[in-house]
Formats: sequence, structure tokens, C-alpha cells
Amino acid sequence: MIDIIRKRKLLCVTLFAYGVVLILDRGIFLAAVDNMWMFVREMIEIFPAVIVLAALITVWVPPHVIMQYFGASSGMRGKLMSVLVGSVSAGPIYAAFPVTQSLLRKGASLSNVITIISAWAVVKVPMLIVEVKFLGIDFAAARYLFTVPAIIGMSMLISSRMKREDVIAAGVHAEGVDAVVEELLAALPGANCGGCGYSGCAAFAAGLRHGNEEPQKCALANEEVERQLRAILERYEVPSA
Amino acid sequence: MTTVILVAAAIGLLLWSRSRDRGKTRESLDIAKRHLVGIGPTIAAILALIGLVLALIPQQYIQSLLGGANTFLSTVSAAAIGTITILPAFVAFPLSASLVERGAHVVAVAAFITTLTMVGFATLPIEIRYFGRRFAFLRNGASFVAALVIALGMGVLL
Repeated sequence: MIDIIRKRKLLCVTLFAYGVVLILDRGIFLAAVDNMWMFVREMIEIFPAVIVLAALITVWVPPHVIMQYFGASSGMRGKLMSVLVGSVSAGPIYAAFPVTQSLLRKGASLSNVITIISAWAVVKVPMLIVEVKFLGIDFAAARYLFTVPAIIGMSMLISSRMKREDVIAAGVHAEGVDAVVEELLAALPGANCGGCGYSGCAAFAAGLRHGNEEPQKCALANEEVERQLRAILERYEVPSA
Repeated sequence: MTTVILVAAAIGLLLWSRSRDRGKTRESLDIAKRHLVGIGPTIAAILALIGLVLALIPQQYIQSLLGGANTFLSTVSAAAIGTITILPAFVAFPLSASLVERGAHVVAVAAFITTLTMVGFATLPIEIRYFGRRFAFLRNGASFVAALVIALGMGVLL
């Protein structure tokens, strides 16, 4: 019981707050339930589809494709692609996180990831008709004109102050896959020969990740492979938060 | 409408994936399931909390702040209000229109829309789970400044 409360702190606090409001003011409680239902319905409609798409990207799309379109060397085309991907997507900002997280791990640059998240939130092509109807075409046009450059500039600024690897390592791996282990596994020969003493390459990669093993233990790795493994381990040496 | 397209795309790609490789499809669904179980309760709790906060803040209060005589001051407070609350775009636009009708400045409303959708105290815990603390704080802080810049530019143009 105590364990559940500790794990779901936020949920318990929220339920408690709702309880207090119910006792104090029924009207506000009902309004809050109405609001909540509006948000939850939006989440139910969009979130499962978004995480399925994110999972399909993780499993199917090879890293070199993501790198080509969204990587550090994708240039201006990568930035425009990012604005496009973000602005045609549906849903609130938190729906952007699963997809952009899997793009980041697959080789997208930090600045393009921030551009996608921002465009997803604020450049709403699907909502353009609503915006024009309520606020006028001048307002919408001016807003787009300033927002797109502002987003791109902001993304470049933030990414110049952070390392991509730190962001990947800091993210909790909600789907239970360690991105670093995956990268190590991809660099290993993949013969599952057992020469290292582990049952297979995946187990050895996990050992490397946690600092229990040395790259040269792999029986089939040549100098090039060992160098690659060391490079990956060095990049992620920062302890994850 | 876009929601329909999004869901259709997810289902279509899933079927395509299944026709190509059942193992990979199973793997994708496993990842998606773990993902949902992992973060779903947190998101649901945050949405419930936002619903409560919105019910507690009277709309008249927001209107009086955004319609102030000092454009600069109302723009900054509009941006600040947008930071706390988060609203779906389909609610944000009609709300903004009603604010303009009641005398809110267009520049203030522009700042409001940007921070309303792009900056969120409420969604910060979700963002930290995905990208870490430093990323979340930097992105939200920079987005707040960007909202003011965008509003300023629009004020000059409109």
C-alpha cells in the first residue's frame, strides 16, 4: 500500500485534492470533472496511436534514415522537415514526446527534436481554419511568420548548450529498453558465440553498460569494434539522473 | 479530423508491419504497451490536476489581466498565465477571440497562445521523464522568451 502511494505520488495528491474540493464546493468539483474529461478524452483518442507510431519507428526505421533526414548534417532541409512533421501532427505537446524521443535515439539532432516539439505545440496546421475563423487571417499569417523562425532559432540556441547524449541518457526509458545497450549491441559482432562468458551479445552489452565488463572480452571483436564500443561508453559516461 | 488520420495511420502501419514481419510487430506492440503502462498514470494524473486548476481560476480574472491599459504589462502577464495553464488549441483559439472582443490587446493574446501551448508547468514532470531536467527547464524557459519575441514582432506588424 505504502509502496503504491510512493510510486503514484502525483495520482494520490490529485485524488486527495479532488476529494477536498468535493467537500468544499460541489460546483467547482463538477467543473473540474468536466475539464478533466475533456483532456482525458483527447488523450485516449491520440496517445495510443502516437506511442504505436513511436514503437514502429523504433523497431522498423534504420538509424541511417533518421540521420539523413533529421541528423546533425541534415542542414536547412532537416529544419524545414522538422517544422513540417511537427505542424501537421495532431494533439497536445505531451503527445510529441514519445515520437521525438525515439527519433532522438535513432540519430536525430537535438535541435531538430526541439523544433518538432515546438512546432507540434504551437504551429497547428490542422487548427488553421479555427484560428482564421476566430482571430482573422492577418493574425494567423503574422503569427506563423514570426513563430517558425523563432522556433528554429530557439532550437539551435538550446542545442548549442546541451549534449545530445546527455539528453538521451537523462530520459527514463519508459519502454524498458536501454538506448545505450542497444547501441552497444549494434556495434558487437552479434554472433552470440558465448566466448565472453555471457549467454549472448545482449547480455554482454548490458555488462558493458554497467561497467562490469571490458570491450576486449568479446572473443570476436577486432580493434575496430573495440574502438567503437569504447567510443560509445565514453559518450555516455555521464551518470544518468 | 486529424485525429482520425493519426489513428488510421497507426492502424494502417501496424497492419503493414504485420504483413511483413509478425515478430517485429509483436515487439512494437510490446514496447507500446510497456510505454503506456509506464507513463499513462502520470499523464492521467496531470490532466486531472490541470482540470482542477482551470476550474479554480475564474475566467473573469484572466480577462481583466489581459485587457489592462498597459500593453507591455498585459503581454507579460498573458504569457505568464499561459505558462501555468495548458489548453488544447481548439479551446485556446475561441477563448482568445472572446478575450480580444472584450478589449484584450492582440499582442497579449499572441503571447498567451504561444505559452499556452508551448510552455507548461503542468506538463513539466512528463517532459522530465522523457528528456531529463535540464532539457525540460531550458526548453520551457527559451519558449517563454520566444513567446514574447513573437508577440513583439506581431505587435509591430499588426
